[in-house]
Amino acid sequence: MAWELATFPAGLMGKVPPLEHVDVEVVRPGEPVRITHVLDAVEPRVRPDGRAAFPVEGTAGEGRTNRLEGVVVLSCLDFPAEERPLHEQESLVDMAGPGAALSPIAEDTAVVLRFRPRAGLGNEELEASARRTTLVVAEELARPTLDAEPVEVERFELGPVERELPAVAALIQLSDLGPLYYQYLYGVPVGAAGLPRAIDPAELLDGAVTCGEYHWAALRNPTVVFQRSALVHALYREHGQRLRFAGVVLMRGYEQSAAAKRRAAEAAAQAALALGVDGAIVTTDAGGNSHTDVMLTCRACEEAGVRTTVIVAEMADPEATGPGLTDWVPEADSIVSAGNAEELVPAWTPQRVLGGDTLLDGTPAATAGPIPVRNYFGATNQTGQLALTATTW
Amino acid sequence: MRAVHYLNQFFAGLGGEEAAETPPTRLEGAVGPGRGLDGTLEGIEIVATLACGDDYFAEHEEEALGRLLELAGAERPGLVVAGPAFGSGRYGYACARFSRLVSERLGIPALAAMHGENPGVAVAEGKVPIVPTAVNVVGMRDALPRMAQLAAALASGRELGPPAEEGYLPRGFRRNRLAEQPGAERAIDLLLAKLDGDARSEVDGGFDRVPPPLPVPDLSRARLALVTEAGCVPQGNPDRLPAIRAQGWLRYSLAGERSLAAGRYESVHGGFDVTLANEDPNRLVPLDTVRALEEAGRVGRIHDVFYTTTGNGTPVAASTRFGSEIAAELREAGVEAVLLSGT
Repeated sequence: MAWELATFPAGLMGKVPPLEHVDVEVVRPGEPVRITHVLDAVEPRVRPDGRAAFPVEGTAGEGRTNRLEGVVVLSCLDFPAEERPLHEQESLVDMAGPGAALSPIAEDTAVVLRFRPRAGLGNEELEASARRTTLVVAEELARPTLDAEPVEVERFELGPVERELPAVAALIQLSDLGPLYYQYLYGVPVGAAGLPRAIDPAELLDGAVTCGEYHWAALRNPTVVFQRSALVHALYREHGQRLRFAGVVLMRGYEQSAAAKRRAAEAAAQAALALGVDGAIVTTDAGGNSHTDVMLTCRACEEAGVRTTVIVAEMADPEATGPGLTDWVPEADSIVSAGNAEELVPAWTPQRVLGGDTLLDGTPAATAGPIPVRNYFGATNQTGQLALTATTW
Repeated sequence: MRAVHYLNQFFAGLGGEEAAETPPTRLEGAVGPGRGLDGTLEGIEIVATLACGDDYFAEHEEEALGRLLELAGAERPGLVVAGPAFGSGRYGYACARFSRLVSERLGIPALAAMHGENPGVAVAEGKVPIVPTAVNVVGMRDALPRMAQLAAALASGRELGPPAEEGYLPRGFRRNRLAEQPGAERAIDLLLAKLDGDARSEVDGGFDRVPPPLPVPDLSRARLALVTEAGCVPQGNPDRLPAIRAQGWLRYSLAGERSLAAGRYESVHGGFDVTLANEDPNRLVPLDTVRALEEAGRVGRIHDVFYTTTGNGTPVAASTRFGSEIAAELREAGVEAVLLSGT
C-alpha cells in the first residue's frame, strides 16, 4: 500500500465556519495565551478524491491526503456536570511561558473552538457533538488546499528491504474505559473495534485513529499525535537503514479484569509475532490501570520472543524518592521515560485565557500558581512524540 | 559561615578500635581530615568537630544522636559536614543518621561523604546529599575538594543542580529535562541496542516487593478487617473522598450491616468504570461473603469498621503512609487478618 501526504502553507486556511454555541479564536505560537479545558487537537486534513479525512468506513492511508502545516484545531469544553462515570481532568495549553516547552503543539497556530454547552444535554451527547464538530472544522479548514500546489509531498510506502535487518513493529495501546475515555478506530470505540489489529502504518498517520479520551491531560495521546506520530515517521525513515518496519499493531488498554488484561497482552504479542518481528516498541495511553496493561504486554511479548522497548510517563512525587511507575515487570529492562507528570511547572501569568476562566479545581486560570505537568495537554504523551524525559537526581 | 564537622574516633585522632566506645565528644575547630577540608572552604569555617566512637554509636544510637544534635545545635552552625566515611559501614551509617537528623530536626543544611555502596547511603534516603568517595582512605585527597564544592553549594542556599554537576550521589528524585531527541527516536535506539544484546533503560523498575506475611494460624478465631482502595463510601460520599489523588483514608462502621447494599454505598473511584461496582458494592468490599463465612464459623469475627481510600493517581509515598496508618489502627484493635480489595 502507498500513501502520499501533500503539505500546503498555513496561509491557505479558509474561513472558520460559524458554528452555533462555539466561540472561535485563532492564537499564534508565542502569544501570551493560556487555553483551558482542552479536549483534543486535530491537524486540518482533506482528501482530493472526496473521501472523508477522518473516515468511518473504507481504509485510510491510501491515495493522497492534503495537510495544512503548522495549524491545529483545538477543542475546549467545560462539561457542565460531574456525572459518573466521568472524571475529566484539567487540561491546559500555554502558547508561551514555561508550559509552552511541554506542548506537542507549541509551534502551531491554534484555531481554538470553545464549545458552549446547551442546557439539558448530557456529557456524552456534548462530547460526541464537540468531537464530530472538531473533525469537521479540521476538514473544512484544509479545503482550500484542493485548489493549490503543495510545498512538499511525502510518500509513505514500505518497500522490500534487501539487507538482513531486524524487523520492528510499533505496538500502540489505545484506551477504552467507557464514555469520555474512548479512543476511536474508524469512528468506533476501540473496545468494539476488534483489537488487537495490525494496520498499515499509514492508516495511523491518516486519521484512522481519533481521540475522545479526556483522562490525565499530560498522559493523553490526542488525535494530532497519531496524525503526526513521531514514532511511525521515525520507523519509516529507518526502514531499510537500521531496521525493517514490519507494521503497526493497535491494542487495547484499560481492560477491566486481570484475566482480560492477560488475554489482551497475549493477543497483542501474538499479533506482533504474526508480523514476523524481532522487536516491538510498545506505547501507552493514560495512566495507572493502562500501565499494568503495558507491562503485561511487555511480558507477553518477551515470553513470545519479541524484544520490547516500552514508552511510559512517570508519576513520581517530586518531594519523595522512589519509583515513578505504577507498575513494572522485570522484563521491562528497556524503558523510555516520557517525563514525570507530577513535577510542577513554574507559575506564569498569561495575558489572555481562552476556553474558560476558571480551572476545574476552582482557581482562576490567569493567576494560578505552579501547575503540575499532568495538567498540561499531551506533555508526557507516551508515544515518543516529545523530547521530555526524567532523570534521577 | 560556621560549620560543624562530624568524624568517628579514628579520624578524630582519639584512637582505633580501643577508642571505639568513646561517647560523643566536642573538639575545638577542625581536626584530622577537617583541617584539609577547612583549607579548601571559602567563607566557611569549621568551628567545632564532633566525634563519636563507632561502637558507642552502634550500641547507644538514640543517646548518641541526641547528644550529637545538642552539641551541634549549640554551635549555631550554617552547615554540617559528616565524613568522609569511605567504605566503613558503621561510620557511614552514623554519618548518614546524624546528618539527616541535623537537616530534618534542626533545619540546617548537611552533607555526608562515603563510598556509593556504603550502607549509609540507603539510610540517608535522599534527605541529605552524599558525596561519593573511594572505598578507602586513599581517596581522601580526592574527596575533600569535592566535599568543599558541595558545601559551598549548600551554603549558598540555592537549590542543588543535577547530581553529576554538583558532585553528589543521585538521591532517587525524578526530575524532568528535555532530551536531545524525541522519545520515539530514543525508543528505536534502545530497542536496536537491546536486539544487539545491550539492554538499557531510562527508568529503573526498582519496585519494593512486599514479602507475603505468614499465614493466619487459625482464621476461625481471627478478627478479620476489610480494607479497600476502591473508593467505596456511603452513598452521597458524605466525607468527600476524592475520585483521584486522595490525601488520606476514611473508616466507616459496619456494625449491624450484613451487606453493602446498592443505593446505600457507592464507589467514587475515578480510575475505572464504576457501573458494575455500584450495581453491587459487595463486589468492592465483599461484606456479604465474609458475613456468611463468619456465621459458618470459618472466620472468627469481622472487624466492625472498614477502611477505604481511592487508589488513583496517588504517589507511592502517600500510599505507603496510608497503609502504615491503617495498619497501626488495625494492630491496635487486635485485627489479625485483612482482606484488601484493590481495583
